[in-house]
Amino acid sequence: MNDRLAEVTGLQQALAEAGYIAEPALAAALLLMQDLGRPLLLEGDAGVGKTEVAKALAAVRATRLIRLQCYEGLDAHAALYEWNYQRQLLAIKLLEQDARSVAEKEQDIFSERYLLKRPLLEAISCEQPPVLLIDEVDRADEAFEAYLLELLSDFQLSIPELGTVHAISRPVVVITSNGTRELSDALRRRCLYQYLDYPDYEKELAIVRLKAPQAAPALARQVVAFVQAVRRMELQKKPGIAETLDWTASLLRLGISVIEKDGAERILQTLGALVKTREDRAAFPREAVARLAAAC
Amino acid sequence: MLNLADPELEARVTQRLAGFCGFLRANGFAVGGGDAQQVLQAAQHVGVLDSELLRWSLQALLCGRCDEWRRFGELFDAWFLPPNRWSAPQAREFEAGLESGVHGEAGRGAGQDHPRDARRAASARELLARTDFSELLEREHQLDLEALMRQFARRLKHLRLRREARARHGRRLDLRATIRRSVATGGTPLHLAWRDRRRVRPRLVLLLDVSRSMAPYSFFYLRLARALAGELADVHSFIFHTRVTAVSEALRDPDPWRAQERLHLLAQGWGGGTRIGESLAQFNREHAARLVHARTAVIVLSDGYDTGEPALLAAELARLRRRARRIVWLNPLCSRPGYAPVSQGMQAALPHLDLLAPGADLASLAAVLPRILEALS
Repeated sequence: MNDRLAEVTGLQQALAEAGYIAEPALAAALLLMQDLGRPLLLEGDAGVGKTEVAKALAAVRATRLIRLQCYEGLDAHAALYEWNYQRQLLAIKLLEQDARSVAEKEQDIFSERYLLKRPLLEAISCEQPPVLLIDEVDRADEAFEAYLLELLSDFQLSIPELGTVHAISRPVVVITSNGTRELSDALRRRCLYQYLDYPDYEKELAIVRLKAPQAAPALARQVVAFVQAVRRMELQKKPGIAETLDWTASLLRLGISVIEKDGAERILQTLGALVKTREDRAAFPREAVARLAAAC
Repeated sequence: MLNLADPELEARVTQRLAGFCGFLRANGFAVGGGDAQQVLQAAQHVGVLDSELLRWSLQALLCGRCDEWRRFGELFDAWFLPPNRWSAPQAREFEAGLESGVHGEAGRGAGQDHPRDARRAASARELLARTDFSELLEREHQLDLEALMRQFARRLKHLRLRREARARHGRRLDLRATIRRSVATGGTPLHLAWRDRRRVRPRLVLLLDVSRSMAPYSFFYLRLARALAGELADVHSFIFHTRVTAVSEALRDPDPWRAQERLHLLAQGWGGGTRIGESLAQFNREHAARLVHARTAVIVLSDGYDTGEPALLAAELARLRRRARRIVWLNPLCSRPGYAPVSQGMQAALPHLDLLAPGADLASLAAVLPRILEALS
């Protein structure tokens, strides 16, 4: 067997032990990311397990996961660093009686002691390379995206009062996007790319087995078949993997060990774990649920 | 470099790998000249003996978006598997030519592999932009048009971004509040208060007529809506014939084919009669309060052939106008020689419009849409 193929299989196994079922293509991409030192851009619908990739990767590498959750209006102060103004002002008061020169005082005020590290600065100043997760980058605006690019290619950032901060270690960067906004070509070209689909039956079954071992094999198969059928319906918000697991848990809580044809009533009680909007809920009258239950 | 035993084989494989980028580019991938180097580097790490492994790795390396991801497998097979087993997909020469016009570097790279006449591509693009949508029937043209639309939408975005960038200058200290807070700390401003800039984003609401008479156009308008929504932050699309259906969600589907399927399901009765007045009434009732604000432009794309009551159309447009910043009607028939808006529907609508403009081809859309955005910002 090819060495590299063995590596891929090995990483798949390690990820599985960390609770993540990965396709070989994803494992191959994660390895390549290490080789080339490039970030990985993960796209796909909400709930396909994009964030989980970063978590599992951090677990496999036994390192920290640093997460930057993006949102509209996210700016450098929230992502990189901020001066601790309150402490600085206090310090100025305390230094009033100090005999040192103004320049010295200033140097003291703008030293690292008063620097609040936000995720990006934190990530490049760790001793051991962490996994840096930049979550839902499509929520931040274009200007921030450009800023991010610069940081990710140089791994250094300049703080006007302090000078340039170089990376102590190069973090492993995972970027996720839900596709609510088109990302720039510059960002796409800088990254390796992986598109994650909803898992197929086999993969989802493996996930349920792994994450909800208390569900009997027969129930797990039924649950997955049911969810897969629900995903084929026209819904505003399709259930993701987390919803599958939630639903399994709520079925177990109600003591349901098998989905029966005439059990629509009991399934309906738990459907809230699977279907999250009012409009989607309307797509599940009693008969529809009974039909779905009978099919799996 | 690839550590193959036979130097001749190594040379051949290296060439094959390097040529793959050009092949992808010819098929519409956003792959640059520098990527060939990356491919070789990746191949060095991965090895070239296992085709699956190479496929996974190059897919991660060379794809940048969902549609590329989905098409990759087929192209990989076409390039790397023995030639007789697969027929190569046709190179999309036009789009590649377009790319080379935009990105100089990519163009130079492309020139080595596929010599092509940039000027011919440019004039083809010009022609395409001025062709009436209803005459664009070939699939190939539609793909090219989509590329043009994306480009156009990107330009709109830059227009808006420039304005926003000029307006924004970071956070500002709210001195008054800071000093008031400092009373408790004996006049030392320990707790700073910041003033946030409040801004309302410009918003576009598109109302697309999909009745039978609009059939040659509605397909393109949907693509336009999709391209706009992809590039601008706040675009909301609805289709109407006898009633209104929101389609933004379906258009946002990253997979274009699935998006089309979803649209088909949504548009039951698609291609039927037109009741513009009733549709607008429904829009006003169900969506306007939530969607239409002082920085919204409502764009109606319709030929104005209405089987409903003209008075209702006029009343509902008037009501909508009170909410919106601009109401623009794009009529594909407008650019035809001798057209006058004499249909009852258009007559009823005219007094309530800010603008009636042609919208049968991309060039006329390109003339109108920037002006609408200007008016919003």
